[in-house]
Amino acid sequence: MGLMELAATKALASAAVLLFITVLMMASAKRISTCIVLFGAQSAVLTSQILALAFVHKSAEMYIVAAMVFVIKVLAIPLALFRIVERLNAPREVASSTTSSQSVFTAAGLILLSFYAVRPYVQTLGVEEDMLAAAVALILTGAFLMVSRKKALMQVIGLLVLENGIFLAALTTTFGMPLVIEIGIFFDLLMGVFLMGLFVFRIRDTFDHLDVSKLRKLRG
Amino acid sequence: MLVLACRSARAAASVALSTGTLELAAIANVAWKVHTAGALQTGRYLRADALTSFFLANIGLISVIVLAYSVGYLRHIPEGRFSSPRWFYALFFLFLFTMVAVYLSANLGMLWIFVEATTLASALLVGFYNTEGAVEAGWKYLIVCTVGIAFALFGTIALYLAAVKGGVNPESALDWTVLMAAAPKLGVVPDLVKLAFVFVVVGYGTKIGFVPMHSWLPDAHAEAPSPISAMLSAVLLNCALYAVLRFDAIVSRAIGSGFSHTLLLVFGGMSITVAAFLMVVQRDLKRLFAYSSIEHMGIVALGIGMGGMLGTYGALLHTFNHSIAKALLFFGAGNVRENFGTLSMEKIRGMAKSMPWTTGALVVGGLSIVGLPPFGLFVSEFMILTQAFIGSHYFVAVLLLAVLSVVFGAMLQHFQGMFGGDAEVRPAKLKLATSDFAAMSVCAVCLVVLGIHIPQAFTAMLHAAVVVLR
Repeated sequence: MGLMELAATKALASAAVLLFITVLMMASAKRISTCIVLFGAQSAVLTSQILALAFVHKSAEMYIVAAMVFVIKVLAIPLALFRIVERLNAPREVASSTTSSQSVFTAAGLILLSFYAVRPYVQTLGVEEDMLAAAVALILTGAFLMVSRKKALMQVIGLLVLENGIFLAALTTTFGMPLVIEIGIFFDLLMGVFLMGLFVFRIRDTFDHLDVSKLRKLRG
Repeated sequence: MLVLACRSARAAASVALSTGTLELAAIANVAWKVHTAGALQTGRYLRADALTSFFLANIGLISVIVLAYSVGYLRHIPEGRFSSPRWFYALFFLFLFTMVAVYLSANLGMLWIFVEATTLASALLVGFYNTEGAVEAGWKYLIVCTVGIAFALFGTIALYLAAVKGGVNPESALDWTVLMAAAPKLGVVPDLVKLAFVFVVVGYGTKIGFVPMHSWLPDAHAEAPSPISAMLSAVLLNCALYAVLRFDAIVSRAIGSGFSHTLLLVFGGMSITVAAFLMVVQRDLKRLFAYSSIEHMGIVALGIGMGGMLGTYGALLHTFNHSIAKALLFFGAGNVRENFGTLSMEKIRGMAKSMPWTTGALVVGGLSIVGLPPFGLFVSEFMILTQAFIGSHYFVAVLLLAVLSVVFGAMLQHFQGMFGGDAEVRPAKLKLATSDFAAMSVCAVCLVVLGIHIPQAFTAMLHAAVVVLR
């Protein structure tokens, strides 16, 4: 293994730390726009990881995937979300049901939990423990953001973080799925965000607020 | 042949109807080819076998009936952004296209992509009325199902990983024919296969409406326009079930059927029990039917979970019967809503006098949905019960019988109130459109035919479908 390959592999391992930082900061963030920036940063870390992997494995397909992640998750989706925030003309804080210190502690706990959860699989699969743990941590904190934040847009961001986690899990364990499938998944993701944006506007127009915890008409 | 059916954004209902007929013809063509020549493979990503053609027959029949019904139903729809008959038909065909594509995918990744696409295509249809309830239901549907499906993606990746570890070529390690053939090799990493199946069942199970992931289902079914409720309940749930069936077949081959079948039995048991008791306390007619869908999906899961020839056969037959009966019931509910302007069962009285045909439809649908002879659901439920006794799953048998009697009581009580008495709310006495009448009578006739004598060709198709799963 050449020096460059070694460096690329090491860069992969340290990227996990960056991902943990984005997750923790997201948990403490008070404004929606901060979360959007953090999501963009997280996706940028992912892009660099794919690039490193593509370099190590000398795979042309992975360069394409990296380009797609960059265009869609680092540029398109954050920009679209910013536009939505601007045009919504509504209060911009995340409206959490937990205080921000509680959220950070929960996120930290989830990170510990994910290290614990991946332990049995690291041996059999022969993958970097940090990366797999980071993937699971992203999934868990994404889900946590979705249930603890009241704003409709924050649920979208939580979902995107969760999806990043799944993507990372696929990346670390199998070096990504076949290209056609990846493209399909990206397309679904893009359409999903578009539709959710549409529904966010509808919620505002129908209810005059964006607090999904107040959507409680239907039950039983 | 598919692209024919996928998009026609014309206002004219006739265009929609003719596209629907074309699509039915295309599906019949595929089914016939599969019947005569065995499995059909087009390119790397499209494939049809007996199981596919069985479900395609289901979707083809139901979608044409629903289209016929929509023609009459859409007369009274309020106009709005993204909600006009033009949008309705465009989204309807997009929805239909994604579901047909689910059945035709030869690849578990493609399968996932299209199942997610069904959610996206139908979310706007669920929120079609743009009322508070509809927007809430649409949002909930979109978020809950997307998260659920994300878990299914995780499960798919885990299975892919297991296949790659088992020595399958990564390029084709998501094709289910390859996976079925190489299934024993997956047994080298049993933990991973189990993990994959748990995530897949939770993920696609969200879309099937298994308790406790069912929260979106009653809302979406109740708030969507009635033709869409019928599509969701009668076709979409089967579509997600099909995904689980494929995974179940692979996992059963890899590590034995014990694990996956037990999981399905647990989810099925929970679904029927919870749904049955919630049916007793429902006030809204369409919510009642929605919970009934959860109950029936639970019954199907029990049938598959018990396995065996009769169990699987009965379960597949049950999906078909259930979809026809549920389409009929939602059509009836749609007529009730148009006439009474409400779906609250307490306010609806004296239906038998004011709308005799719709009452008839609800009686036929109601009697068949609780599983009385001579309707189709009796036959399939009886098969599943027989399998329970043959396989000595006595607990399942007792649970199923208990639940069926609770459901019977609930339905009877709710319906009795609505049919008799004097109306508080004056019904509008709209005339029943011919197309509505046609749609409802086709459903009723199918139910009776399937209950008395199942046609030979249909039995052959079902048998072939069961063989695919073994």
